[in-house]
Amino acid sequence: MPITLVEAALLTFVLGCALGAALLEDTLAAVMAFAAYSLGVSVLWLVLQAPDVGLTEAAVGAGIMTVLFLLALSNTVSPDADRLFEPIRWRTVALVGGFVLLIGATVPALPAIGDPNSPVVAGEVSQYYLANAYAETEVRNAVTAVLAAYRGFDTLGEGVVVFSAVVVTLSVLRREVVA
Amino acid sequence: MSTDDAGRNAGDADGAAGPDAADSPDADGDEAAPGLYVESTIIMTTVRLVSPFILTFALFIMFHGADTPGGGFQGGVIAGSVVMMLAFAYGIDSTRQWLDGRVIAALASGGVYVFVGIGLGAIALGGQFLQYAEYEALFGHAIKYAIELVELSIGAIVAAVAIGLFFLLAAGFDHAIEEDPS
Repeated sequence: MPITLVEAALLTFVLGCALGAALLEDTLAAVMAFAAYSLGVSVLWLVLQAPDVGLTEAAVGAGIMTVLFLLALSNTVSPDADRLFEPIRWRTVALVGGFVLLIGATVPALPAIGDPNSPVVAGEVSQYYLANAYAETEVRNAVTAVLAAYRGFDTLGEGVVVFSAVVVTLSVLRREVVA
Repeated sequence: MSTDDAGRNAGDADGAAGPDAADSPDADGDEAAPGLYVESTIIMTTVRLVSPFILTFALFIMFHGADTPGGGFQGGVIAGSVVMMLAFAYGIDSTRQWLDGRVIAALASGGVYVFVGIGLGAIALGGQFLQYAEYEALFGHAIKYAIELVELSIGAIVAAVAIGLFFLLAAGFDHAIEEDPS
């Protein structure tokens, strides 16, 4: 599968940021690298024509998560970093490398991006949504039709999960008001 | 002490906001710098000018998510970020005082109630849970409007939770117990 220059540049950027987030000694620098990683991934989603996912990644991953990480950092004491990178522990490298190899071994089994015969596209369910979403729900974004109408119960669960995040934080911090 | 603390937090977050990173070079929770929150006219004016547009954009993402990429989750986060921007510009403590905690709680729980209410309403009309088509008996284009309302309720949940987590993490654990919640 050929890879375009933009995709190659983005992948390199994302990989570099991921390594930075993992290896940088200074926690603030690692958080910034993680934010840049999220931003790179969100642009990558756009390039792969998944704008809904890209928008979520940019807003949640690069935006809110970074702010929350920084707030957590400002409320904790981190030791001064005396060197740029963490010392590399070879046991960790072996473990992470093994995991990456395991995941990477499944990649050749995936269909090519945009393959019209891949099960995701040619499958009965996808074809049904694409053919009937507008007629049945009157929304043009098939993603929204699936999210809010066909799979509304799942989305209700997601909403409750998000809601419970703030409830859990309240109880962990032993507070009764959010602001 | 608490204003001191909030100022430091705001300064830290400020430095991380991106465009103002140069303002606070050592924004890593340094204890020795209490006044990291800079009351900058430029930041305050920019935030005041930009926030109505961002809030409008958030509502656009929420409502227009039915026809273009977007939806409640993304729009809600963007709406929540407006309050964070205000906190960067005016300090977390004053934003906390300006914003009533009950509004946040009402938005978060109200969103869940609306979503569940839409589902139960369909049962009341003789259908199944979340079967929007049942509302067709009451008004036209019922499914589309039900989806928009669902997106809006998701947006309310997500925005309120983002704002709530922001203020909760800013307050931290230290003065969570002795500070009497008002």
